[in-house]
Parts: sequence; structure tokens; C-alpha cells
Amino acid sequence: MALTIISLIKQVPVPSEMRMGEDGLMDRTKAKSIINIDCQFGLEAGLQLRKQNPDARLIVCSMGPGSFETSLKAAIAMGYDEAYLLSDRKLGGSDTYATGLAISTMLKHLGFSKDSKEPYIILAGRQTSDGDTAHVPSQVAENIGIPQATFVESVKADGAGSVIAKRIIEGGYQMMKLPMPCVISLTPTGIPPRKPSLSGAIKARSLKITTFGIDDIGLGTEKIGISGSPTIVAKVVNMVSERPPITMSEGHNEATLVDSLITNLKKGGNVLEKKEAAAKKETDRPDFPEKDFREGARGILTWAEVTNGNISRPSLELLTPARNLANQLGNDTKVMTLIIGKNVQPLAQTLIEHGSDEVIFVENDSLEEYLVLPFASIFTQVIKERKPEIALFAATTSGRELAPRIGMRTSSGVTADCTGLEIGEYIDKKQKAIIAPILESRRPTYGESKLATILGFVCPQISTARAGTFEVPPRVNERPGIISAFTPVLDEKDFVVEIIKTVRGEGGLQNLFDADIIVSGGRGTTSDSLGLMKALAEALKGQGINAEWACSRPVVDEGITEYARQVGQTGKTVRPKVYVAVGISGAIQHIAGMKEAGQVIAINHNPKASIFNNADFGIVGEYQDIIPELIDRVKSGFTFGIEPKK
Amino acid sequence: MSNVDTVSTDVLIIGGGPSGLATAIHLADTLKQKGLNHRILLIEKGSSIGSHILSGAVIKPDVFKELLPDVDFSEIPFNAKVTKDSMVLLGEKSYLKLPFHMPYMNNIGYYTASLGQICKYLAVKAQEKGVEIYTGFAVDEILYNDGKVIGAKTKDTGLDHHGNQLENFQAGTRIEAGITIFAEGQRGPLTQMLIKKFNLTEGKNEQVYSLGCKELWSVPEGNIAPGQVYHTLGYPLHTDEFGGGFIYGLNDNRVAIGIVVGLDYKDPTFDVHDAMQIWKTTSFVSKILKGGKLLEYGAKTLPEGGYYAIPKLYVDNALIVGDGAGLVAMPTLKGIHLSIKSGILAAKTTAEALSNNDTSEKSLQNYEAQVKSGFIRKEMYKVRNFRQGFEKGLIMGGLHFGTQLITGGAGFFGRLKSTADYKTTSKLSHLKKKPFKERFKGKLEWDKVLTFDKVTDVYYSGVFHDEQQVVHVQIKDPKKFKEINIDQYGAPEQFYCSSEVYELHTNKAGENEIRIHAENCMHCRTCDIKSPGLGITWVVPNGGNGPDFQNM
Repeated sequence: MALTIISLIKQVPVPSEMRMGEDGLMDRTKAKSIINIDCQFGLEAGLQLRKQNPDARLIVCSMGPGSFETSLKAAIAMGYDEAYLLSDRKLGGSDTYATGLAISTMLKHLGFSKDSKEPYIILAGRQTSDGDTAHVPSQVAENIGIPQATFVESVKADGAGSVIAKRIIEGGYQMMKLPMPCVISLTPTGIPPRKPSLSGAIKARSLKITTFGIDDIGLGTEKIGISGSPTIVAKVVNMVSERPPITMSEGHNEATLVDSLITNLKKGGNVLEKKEAAAKKETDRPDFPEKDFREGARGILTWAEVTNGNISRPSLELLTPARNLANQLGNDTKVMTLIIGKNVQPLAQTLIEHGSDEVIFVENDSLEEYLVLPFASIFTQVIKERKPEIALFAATTSGRELAPRIGMRTSSGVTADCTGLEIGEYIDKKQKAIIAPILESRRPTYGESKLATILGFVCPQISTARAGTFEVPPRVNERPGIISAFTPVLDEKDFVVEIIKTVRGEGGLQNLFDADIIVSGGRGTTSDSLGLMKALAEALKGQGINAEWACSRPVVDEGITEYARQVGQTGKTVRPKVYVAVGISGAIQHIAGMKEAGQVIAINHNPKASIFNNADFGIVGEYQDIIPELIDRVKSGFTFGIEPKK
Repeated sequence: MSNVDTVSTDVLIIGGGPSGLATAIHLADTLKQKGLNHRILLIEKGSSIGSHILSGAVIKPDVFKELLPDVDFSEIPFNAKVTKDSMVLLGEKSYLKLPFHMPYMNNIGYYTASLGQICKYLAVKAQEKGVEIYTGFAVDEILYNDGKVIGAKTKDTGLDHHGNQLENFQAGTRIEAGITIFAEGQRGPLTQMLIKKFNLTEGKNEQVYSLGCKELWSVPEGNIAPGQVYHTLGYPLHTDEFGGGFIYGLNDNRVAIGIVVGLDYKDPTFDVHDAMQIWKTTSFVSKILKGGKLLEYGAKTLPEGGYYAIPKLYVDNALIVGDGAGLVAMPTLKGIHLSIKSGILAAKTTAEALSNNDTSEKSLQNYEAQVKSGFIRKEMYKVRNFRQGFEKGLIMGGLHFGTQLITGGAGFFGRLKSTADYKTTSKLSHLKKKPFKERFKGKLEWDKVLTFDKVTDVYYSGVFHDEQQVVHVQIKDPKKFKEINIDQYGAPEQFYCSSEVYELHTNKAGENEIRIHAENCMHCRTCDIKSPGLGITWVVPNGGNGPDFQNM
């Protein structure tokens, strides 16, 4: 039985080349195209699997215009054997639901179904840089009807027909065992993609890429393209950066560089003149009749994720937009929260005190750790019974794979990683109707440069909300609410994936939330186990400053410090007055955790590090030189402009 | 499955610049005429054709008609035709338009161009003719059999800084070729290996180089007319610094500017990039750039040793073409047409050799004979002593050149010898004049509007290098380097480098060390040429790495 490895890739514009044009608009036309970075890690994972299975057949698939052949050929040059492209104008404007449907239909057409006798593994990138949803792998898995593991860093075949995957979760990782066939999505943190070989490029030149249209694979037009997709992009506006351009220190050694930093800090650096948001043009609201598309669906359902026996903070945050939406909907709209796990009933009251009207709990010992298949199944059953109009998930690694899997079952689209959730209306000019009330999900896109408003027309309207965006609603002791048990029907097939091990760091260290200055070290500062970061934080404390030290993810991954110190999307979101980022490259996942700091000072030896695009003050230099100099200055009274506490 | 893949081809061309592409095009044409069918494979290290190509450029166009006889000339993507050509003598605050041209320096009727764009066009033509072009692959090893060249091998990738294999290791591909054309450009690492192995410079003058730094600007309408060309002499260069500036008005309100300076200067603190920034602040240049915006920056070295420095150009199964052969005519610094011509000649010899099934040295020697007889000789021989004459400075050089003009290039001394550039730098303590950094004290501050520091300029070259690879600029002997280059010469690397690869760092104890930022490297090779004692070797980094020039 020869193993087949199928890599799904997307071609995207080079993220760093998506520069802002003079008109403030993103200029994508000049950007070159590459294989989406995460997908490149997927491709490499396939090549690594072939090391173990030399007879494996490696195929690469994509969906998009004919120009995507360039990327498919690049995959061949890396070492893949066959390439397939689904290309049809009718697919234009497809949302993630429609994309997942189309790709899985192509794979089924190629003979890959849940009943295939030959083993296969579908690999994909975690998410794309031009969409950032992370939905498609889940949707493909759901459509084919096979298990999945997303946010996976490394993958191995165990030689006995199963796949061992290391899945990154908040604060740690899980080792999972999945039967084949399955879908695995890869994070860009595993083995970096190899370079193409010349012999591969020569092979790619003459290789014929098989291109399918939708008719070839028997895909109808009802559920694809702009008209078939359950969600639409209603509006896109530019996001104005709230951080002024960086002021770089100038000097030839650490002393002059630090002098320059201190001078710049005193000057106050650049001040961004905040442009008044252009007054909203009140478009003439046509005199169309209002149409309620909800077909009786009512109420808002949220998921309370449980980690280490506690409700995760992002799940509590979710109750803020949920309550807000319920108020906007009026008519006594209820917020319901589903909590699943072992010994979860005692947590229900907490949810009610933070704003849930009803907590539905599923008590099951075998569900102590989250598993996408049974959780999706339970959710679908609850949705069927309760018919909520909206379902909200925190955009955690679990929420982001669970929501699209559920969305596929309910034929709803999903909007990923939202930072704004409001009730609005949609003027449907074709049908001459005003569709209301409808959920407006707002999410940053195109490298955080634009804010898109997404609407879904199938209930429940599903969105995931970015962690750290909303405040946890204040707790009201003994707030009344209903707590009800739910007994789902569970199929043993939902338990085919085994969690071998879960490693999760402590979530503590509340100090980080309160510190005025955080000194944070990245991958570039691990040689002395963050010794210099600690020393700088200590020196600041010695001056009476509430300072702490922290780090970015790679530092935790390397085992240098505990998870509690990690700042970023999968760690803590902090808001100190001053954030000193040392040796941190500035991956978007890290920026998500510190972008609301008052002032950001970046120190990096690489002048092109993207952290400099997200900082107020910068020094290009080696941290081993700069930090000792800073420590000396702190000892003689320099405190980054923060008043010491007496 | 063997770990190393092998492909074979009849002809391997290493490098996708004008000479390599001309070889490919003319060879494909000639073979077709002869009714022969041979595989021609061209490998380019840049991520795309043109991404590592930089030139002024004003091009003598006639040779394109020879290369592409069937093509409508207007189809070739030249920029503006030169309509006005002036020599300007610069002072800091004043300038003088010279009422005459230096001999050989008139460019009226030639074309300004982005050589990168021309190369992209030539690559399309070559591919139409059946040439296989692969970009983004670095070749770092010559393959030999029985002491004869039999092809080359692409670089292994997926190595860490120490050369250990990583999990994503990808072995290079062996390319076995009937004949290999070295079209790497100036100071190509493989060409250097070939020259060394076969001692191809025996009895020749040492090759000398100059470094050109260039910026492309967009300027307001009216600052400079398309086709207006200026060459400047004088400020900020000292009379013992050989070189000058160029300003080429292009279509669409763009202007290409830069300076080119001979690397035989003595001052270890001399900095061509910084000299260009100072040059831009002169009233004459700043007026042209006023209100404009920097679009691109780049740098490259050019061989200017001339006729007597041309190495032997053929060995069994291999030829050298273009800049690698040192085919640049002085004092115009024009080499593009000569490179293309050398490609055409190499193609003729190669086609002949393939049809006779004889690629031996004897069969290939006709190539060099052709180079040294036709118009390449004509242009290079009459100025064969030009550059060497200037080794003693501008005044002596002027005298030499005057006598050479009268005597048809010979001068009163016959063949003048040259000294390799790495030998000409003075030790700091031996420098007789004010060093560059003191000469322009107070002027070395950049406003980031008109003038830019190196790191900022480097950003405008689109340069990128993979983090995981062996550092591609290598200090041969760190101890010796510290003693000689740093302590005695004051680390001239930090100044001559066009792209801030070398940083002199002084720690708190006052100890100096050189830090290498190879990721900034523009692939200009100055460090390989100018480092005292040849302390640094430039090797080719991973394919696809380096600058990403768009219109240079």
C-alpha cells in the first residue's frame, strides 16, 4: 500500500512587498507571487514524510487562476511528483466555505474519499497571508469526512498506518495520533521549506499540470463563487496605523546609540496626527421592505473553552460582544454558553456571573481535553435543538478549527479572528430588500492594513473573536441564569483521534498585566537564557519601577523559560507603558500580544526586522552590546520616562 | 535513489547577463542555421533575469542589430535616446560645463537603458529560440574529468552556518556539459577558480576594477530631459582618485545617477557610497534631484584593466565571455556592447566546435583570436594603456593619455603595467593626505531626503539572503585579518563595502572586531578585490539570494 501525500497550496502576493502606496492603499499589483509561507511548510512536511516512506507519491493541488501554475511548478522543483489545479472563473469570489467545498470535491474526484483503501495524508498550511482565516483545512476534512489536526508543527508516520502530529496549543503542545486518511495543517514554525533543486526545476519545466474546471469534477455552481458562498465581504476600509513611524537611534557604538535613544525618548519621538475618521456618508437607505432571513433562529450561543480545568480567558472575553449583540438585537435575546468537559458543571455559575443567560453543560469524562470531532458533533446537536442565530467562538487554536468544521455541517460560513461584532443591516439591491438584523463581523486583513466587514446569510452566523480584543465583562455575583445539562449522542468514530500527551505551561504571572515596563526577549537573545533581559528588568526594579521581563514564543519553545512569560497571540496580551522588544523579529503573532503598549522600543541586529514597523523607537545593534549599556544608564537614573513609585 | 541528481546538456551557460544571453541567442540561431539540435541550458543565480544586473547605462546599440537581425529594433526596451551629452567639472558650490568632450566620450545617438530590463527582454528571446533558462540557482563548483572541465554543480542548500546539513538539505545538481560558457560577470567565483586552475592570467596585466554606486530617482517634471546625459569630473574626488559621476535623464521623469571610482585609491577610509552622497549635495546634482524620490539603489564593480588584462579566454570545453573576460573599454566604461559581441563570437566558435564534435582547447582558440581581432580589439587596443596611466593620479594620467592619443594608444612607454587594487591601499599611518572621513567631516550626515546612509540605501535594493547558510563572505585568516586589516589599515572593509556588510565594532574594553552582516550584500565583489592582503573571499550564496533590482 503506497502512501499518497497531498499538499494543498495557495499562491499569494509576497507579504513584505504589499507596501502601502502613496494613496494609502495597498499596492498589490507590483507584489510578486509566492507559495503562501505556511503552505511551504506543508510542502516540506510532505517531503519529510517521504524520508520515512521512500515509495510515497507526492502530489500538490491548488485552486485559483492559471497563474498559480508557477507555484505548482515550484512545488515540483522542491521534489513533488504530480500537480493538479482547479481553475474556473465560476469559482471567483468564493469564500472559505465554498473553497473548502471545491477543493474537497476535486480531491474526491481524484479518488480520495473517507473510504479510500490506499492510505493518504492531506497537508496544508495553517492559514494564508492574504486571508488569515485558517478555515480551509478544517472544511476540507469535514467535507471528505476524515479527522484533522490543525496548527501542527511536525508530523510523522508511525509505520503502522497512523500519523503522529505535534499540535501547538495555547501555552504548549499536544502530541496526537491520527488514523489515515487525515488532514494536517502546518504552522510556519516546523522544518523550513527546502530550496528547489535544479533537477527538480528541469522536471517541472516539462511536467504537464492537470487542470480541472468545475464541470470536470462534477461541482455545481449553487454553492461556489460569489453567489453561492454563504458569506460576503460587504465593506473594506483602510486601517490607519495608530503607531507613528519609528524613530531610529543613530550612532556608531552602543554608547552613542543609547544616547540617541534617550534623546529621542525625551523629544517624545514622532507624534502621529490622527486623521479624523472620514465622516460616514449616510448612503440613501432605499425604501425596500425589510426581510428577516433568520427563519426563526434566535439567541446567541458561545463556547466556553476549558483548559486546565478553568474557563479560558478568551472565552470569558467573548461574553462582552455576545451581551452587546443581544442588547442590539433586543426582544429579550438570550446569551447561551456551551461548556463541555469533565467536572464542568461547577464552572457554569461563573459564566452566568460574567453575562451568560443560560449555560448548557455537557459532562463527559472522555472529553476532558478538547477534540474537534466530538465537540463539533455536540455543537451541531445543540445548534439543531436551540437554533441560535449567532454562534461565537474565541479565536484560539481550538476555536479556529472547531468553528469552520461546525460551519460546514450547518452550511454557514465562518468569519475568522474578528475584532468587531455589531448588528447591522444589508441592502440587497438584487432582491430589493433590506436584510436585517444581520451580524456584521469586522476583521483585519491584508497584513492588518484593512478592516473588512463580513456578512453571513445562513444561521447560525458564526464568527471567531480575536483573543485580547474584548475586555472580560465584570462579574456580577449571584447574577441569575439557567444551568441546563445536555446529553449528546456520540459516535465512537468521533474518538478515532487519540491525544497522547498534552503539555501546557502555567498560566500565572499576573504581574505582566500590571507592569509599567516589560523587557521582552526573542529568539535572538537565547544565548544567555535571557540573562540580560532579567538584569535590565531587575535594574529598573531597583529604581522603583514596576518592571517585568517576558519573551516571545520561540524562547518558550526552546524550553528557556515558562509559558507564563510568553507574550503574543498564543500567550499573553499585555499593555505596559513601555515595551522593550529585544531580538524579536516581530511576527504578527507576537505583535498581536503587545501592540497596545504605550511605547514600543525595538532592539534588533537586523535593520529589516518587521518589529521596527511596529515600534516607536528603534536601535539596530547587537543586544549583547546595547543591553549592558542600558543597564548602566538605568543604574544612573534613566527609567524610560516612567516615574518611579515611591 | 542517488543523493545527487545529474542532468546533462550540450551547452551550459553560467550567468544570465548580456554576454550569457547573447551567447545563448546567437548559438541557438547558429545551430538552427546549421540544422543542428543541441540542448542549451542557462543558469542564473538571481531570483529572476535582471535582478542582479546593474549598469549606468548608456548603450552603443549597433551590436543588438547583429544579435537580433530579425527583430524590429524599436522592440528592444531601450530608454531615451541620448540627445544632449555634456561634461561637467564640479566644485562643491560651482560647476563648469566643459565646452568639449574628452576623446571617446561623446554619447549622442546612443541609448540610455536599464540593462536589467534589456536582459529580461533578451531572456524572452532566448527562450523563444529554445534555450532553457533556470533562475535562482547558484553554481559553486566546476566539474572536471581528467583535468578538463565537464560542467558545473549547483550549490547544496539547507546548510547551517557551519556547513552542517539541516533537515531540509537539498543536494545540488550536477550539470554535465559538452561545453561550459563562463558568463558570471566581473570577478565571478567560478571564473576565478578556472583562471587559477589553468593559470589563465599568466603574462597578463593584473585586472583592476572600479566600483560604481547607482541610485534611480523619480524627479519632478522638468528637472532633467529624457536623453540628457551628463558626466561629471572633480568634486568630491581628489586628483588621485580616478573616477567621476554620471547623470542620465530617462523617460517618465526618472533619472539614473551615480559615481564610479577606481579601486586603486590609497585612502583606507575612502567610501564610494558616501562620496556619492556628498556628490549629490553639490549645487549641480542636487538641483536635478530636487523634489524627487529615491526608487532604487545598487552597486557593482567593473573590470577596467583593459586589453592587457584580458585573461586567456578558452580551455578544453570552456570559454569565458563578458565582464569575466574584462571586456570593458576605457575611458567610456562601456562594456555592454563588447560583452554581447563576445557572446556572439563565443556562440560562433561553440557552434563550430559542436558541429565538428571537437570542443578541445585547440578547437576553441579561435574565439580568443576573434575577440582580439575584430571591433573588440579596435575599441580596447587604442586605449590599452589608458587606465594604467592614471595609477599615479589625474595629472600624470592626463599626460599619459595625451601621449597615447598621439601615438594611437602606445604612449611613450609601450605597455604600462598595472597593480592589483588590494595592493594600493595605504596603511593609516602611511597616508600622506587627510583621510576621507576627515576631509568631509561635518558633511557625512544624511538627511534621508537627498542623502542616505548605507543601510537605508540597501533597503532600496530589495536585497535578501537566507538566514540559514554558510556566511558567503569569508575571512581567510581571522588572526591575520585582525593584525593587518583592522589594526594597521583601520578596517577599510567598513568603508569600501557598498552595502554595510562589514561593521567595525569596538567593545567596552576598546577591542576592535569586524562583524559581518552578509544579508546586506549587493554582490558587488569589492571586498574580494580590495581587501588588503586579499583577506576576504566572496563565495556565491544560495540561489535567489542577493539584490532584487527592478530597473537598474
